[in-house]
Amino acid sequence: MRLASSAITIAVLVLGFAAIAQQVGPGGTQPSPAPSPAPGTPASPNQPQVDESALRYFASQGDTRRVNAEIARLRALYPNWTPPSDLSQLSSGPAVAVDPIIERLWNLYKEDRIAEVRAAIAERQSTDPNWKPPEELTTALNSVEARRRLTNASDSSQWRTVLTVATENPNLLTCVNVDVLWRVAEAFAKTDQANRARDVYTYLLTNCGNPGERLATLQKALTVLPETQVADLLQFERKTGEAPDNFDSIREELARRRVERASNDDKTTASAEDLAVVERLIRNSNEPGPVLVLAWYNYHHGNPARALELFKTALDRNGGNKAAEGYAMSLRALERIAEAEAFAYDWRDKAPENMKVYLDVATALLTQDPPPRLEPRVVSRIVPVVTSQRFPDGAQALGWYSYNTSQFATARDWFRQALNWRAEDEPSAYGLALSTQRLNDKAGFNAIVAQWRNRSERIADLADGTTPVRPGQPRVPQAQTTQPAPVQAETPRVVVERSTAVEVEPRVRTTTATGSTSGRRNCIMTRSADGMAPDAALTLGWCLMEANRPMEAVNAFDQAIRRGSARTREEAAYGKSLAYLRKNLTSEAAVAAAQAPQTGQRRVELGASILAQRALAAYRDGRYVETILALSERARIVPEQNDLMLIRGWSYFKLGRHKDAEKVFRAVQRTGYSEEASVGLNAVLEASIPNRQ
Amino acid sequence: MRGFAKRGLLLSCLLAGVLSIASSMSSAQNVSVQPLNVVGTLPTAEWEAYRSKFIEDSGRVVDNANGNISHSEGQGYGLLLALAANDRAGFEKIWTFTFTELLIRDDGLVSWKWDPEAKPRVSDRNNATDGDILIAYALAKAGTAWNEPRYTTAAQKLAAAIGKHTFGRSGGNVFLLPGAEGFNAGERPDGPVINLSYWVFEAFPVLANLAPEYEWTRVWREGVTLLQQATSGRVRLPADWLSIQSRMQTKPADGFPPEFGYNSLRIPLYLLRAGMTDLEWLRALKVRWSAENEGVAVVNVVTGNVRERLNDQGYAILSAALACVLDGTPVPDTLKTFEPQLYYPSTLYLMTKSWLGEKHPQCV
Repeated sequence: MRLASSAITIAVLVLGFAAIAQQVGPGGTQPSPAPSPAPGTPASPNQPQVDESALRYFASQGDTRRVNAEIARLRALYPNWTPPSDLSQLSSGPAVAVDPIIERLWNLYKEDRIAEVRAAIAERQSTDPNWKPPEELTTALNSVEARRRLTNASDSSQWRTVLTVATENPNLLTCVNVDVLWRVAEAFAKTDQANRARDVYTYLLTNCGNPGERLATLQKALTVLPETQVADLLQFERKTGEAPDNFDSIREELARRRVERASNDDKTTASAEDLAVVERLIRNSNEPGPVLVLAWYNYHHGNPARALELFKTALDRNGGNKAAEGYAMSLRALERIAEAEAFAYDWRDKAPENMKVYLDVATALLTQDPPPRLEPRVVSRIVPVVTSQRFPDGAQALGWYSYNTSQFATARDWFRQALNWRAEDEPSAYGLALSTQRLNDKAGFNAIVAQWRNRSERIADLADGTTPVRPGQPRVPQAQTTQPAPVQAETPRVVVERSTAVEVEPRVRTTTATGSTSGRRNCIMTRSADGMAPDAALTLGWCLMEANRPMEAVNAFDQAIRRGSARTREEAAYGKSLAYLRKNLTSEAAVAAAQAPQTGQRRVELGASILAQRALAAYRDGRYVETILALSERARIVPEQNDLMLIRGWSYFKLGRHKDAEKVFRAVQRTGYSEEASVGLNAVLEASIPNRQ
Repeated sequence: MRGFAKRGLLLSCLLAGVLSIASSMSSAQNVSVQPLNVVGTLPTAEWEAYRSKFIEDSGRVVDNANGNISHSEGQGYGLLLALAANDRAGFEKIWTFTFTELLIRDDGLVSWKWDPEAKPRVSDRNNATDGDILIAYALAKAGTAWNEPRYTTAAQKLAAAIGKHTFGRSGGNVFLLPGAEGFNAGERPDGPVINLSYWVFEAFPVLANLAPEYEWTRVWREGVTLLQQATSGRVRLPADWLSIQSRMQTKPADGFPPEFGYNSLRIPLYLLRAGMTDLEWLRALKVRWSAENEGVAVVNVVTGNVRERLNDQGYAILSAALACVLDGTPVPDTLKTFEPQLYYPSTLYLMTKSWLGEKHPQCV
């Protein structure tokens, strides 16, 4: 009688072990030749293979007490197990005297004290060299030791040892040792023998009956096999019998993985069934995992609105950084950029991905089209992040934002910063050239031109005096973008409210910087500027501008003009012009600007603003010739920006000058301001092709 | 301060170095490894004291000064001492643990570190070549002594793995790598790096018999040469870890303290056990280790400063063994009673005791 009779080995494994022989190779320990399959019968579905070696030994010794104890032990371990019927035949007549050491050895063996069994055998043999332990015991010891080595080797990723031990100990490869089979399968997979791994799983699913272990087998397969092979294994699901399988969770996992793969690839679509499975997984659990899968799937397949909902759900389920990342990205995709920025700001420090999203969203916010109304606190929280992250795109965006809000010195600093962080950033170089030009900073302008004229056509054009095109989009000046570093507190400013083009940010910070807070309080309480000292009147004027009461500000500025010094008068006249501009009173603004001599720069800014408003007013009234005249006059003092170029284009168009209109729209299109320019070009095209039907 | 050396002194140092290399070359050729019996050289009482303190029933040898971990070195010493005490049962236990828990590497070497608190318990699967050699040697001796083919077969496989994976080559020389990975030229900037205390000289002829296809003799002779080279400087002590990038000018390896430390303390023991008692360096060491001088200590090999004096009887007996062999001085009575406290010095004590028992019973 042999222990091996309880061990099932099957031909399918032999296939695998033939491969080990090759894989272990000549240099390693020589594996024994592929074991021939034991002719054992497959286990009945629900009955694990039980190690009956000790039982049989006691029976053969006629040790009834031990036999009964062992039967009780095995029953406790394997409730479905029934003792073999042939035990009585093993008892060879009257009980022979049992060697007491044998019992001790088996007891130690049962307690898993293998080293001590070995020691006791060695001890006995040292006094009795001819003594041999029972063969069953030797075999059992070898098996236990092999199983330990295999397990330890597997825990340390020593896959070749795993396969060698398995080859040398085929009796381990049975349904009693499902864990060993799993480890062997994993070793095959880890040594690039996925088919062998599949064979092991197939063997297990064909022969082993414990439903929990069968399901766990598929879960193991999911971790090591390609999914198509896992899907193939589903065919072994037992739908009938005492303990039928339920592999639905495996099917769901496969579906979830397919959706997950498609979720990051807009070219792959998941099937409706798979998507339905993920929806079900979402409903049936509180885990964020499947929600995120479906959220990303929607995000990458043109449904950001649904993605947003799902990311929200994932956030509610503690989906963490990934959920936050997706939520911000969905908001952005929905063009809810301000919300995206506010949300992403709170998550920016959680993970590098979240920081990246925040910087992207903040950059988008600064450069979005149409121009946003940015609150100062928004801009001032973007600044330190861009600075600490040394993010060149963010610096460039702050540059354009400053530029478009006529803060040319600030713009110049940001473009410089962007170039510090990314020397090859041509758009920042262009921005820097424009800013220095606007600031009349000849040295700065020449320096940047010298560096870039061979690399950038548009910078070369600027230097050559070719009509420059102002990049970027018009902005409503809302916030003072802070200097790159150090971050300054918010400075008082004048808000020019109209959301049309070319508003002017006054450069009066130095004169109004003091007492702005108290000034605000004062101007709310003070009713009239009459009788005020000129400087106080000036402060009041700016304060009222900030409070968006421009007509009262005009009174205050008038008081300052009447009584003030030259410098105060200049400032006040400037303020008064801005106040009229805000009320759209262009002519009054022009008159006010003339009330005191202005510095060259302010003259240019005010003149440009006044002319722009004039052009827009004319355009609104349908006076297109006047529009073009005003724009042309303006273009003589400052470069024409895209939105005004569009006005010019449409004016030409309305006047029937299609060729001119087309030229202007094309120029705008080349600067990247293309959507509106395309509308214009289409209109020109429509108009110039008579009756296509 | 090495940069400070006077020219004349430097020259004489260099000359001494050259001379000692020349003499070491010849003496490395002349020395030979004497076989040991090992079996039955350790009194049962001393072995029992060791076994009950450091070895669990599972056969695990516990390093109680080191977080109760186990290592291949400890298992190897345990096997060798069990053999010395003729304790077949004890040997079998230690081997069972070694075989099932540590002999798991794909290349057939032994993983060196086993930590009861770690998961998996093999917390560093790398090998340590001294552990491999000790285990293979003990198995080979036990296989013969007790006529147990299981041990001989295992010894043979392990010896072949050692020969295949831990013999490094550089120029025309073959040396012992401390581990299969991470020490050779190209594996670290100052590689190859060696540890002279990994040469368990007595094992080499035995393992050469089991795996004759590898160059065991050249490797142990290279060990002697490198030792003489590394002890030719002013302080005359080798660092535990040596870069042999320049074989004729070994230097302490980067990232290790430049110390003659716990590792190197074993070198004289291994030399004595292998019967290489003629080496001049042992005489110098005997003087240094004598009670009138600094005694057994951890010493900075660059400055010669003592970092730590080692008073445990396991270290003191190393010095006593040198005095016994070279001067015939008996081991002092204070060292005759074994009082095991910590794994490592206790192990050195018994390794020394068993050898004295075999070769110099008059001293004990």
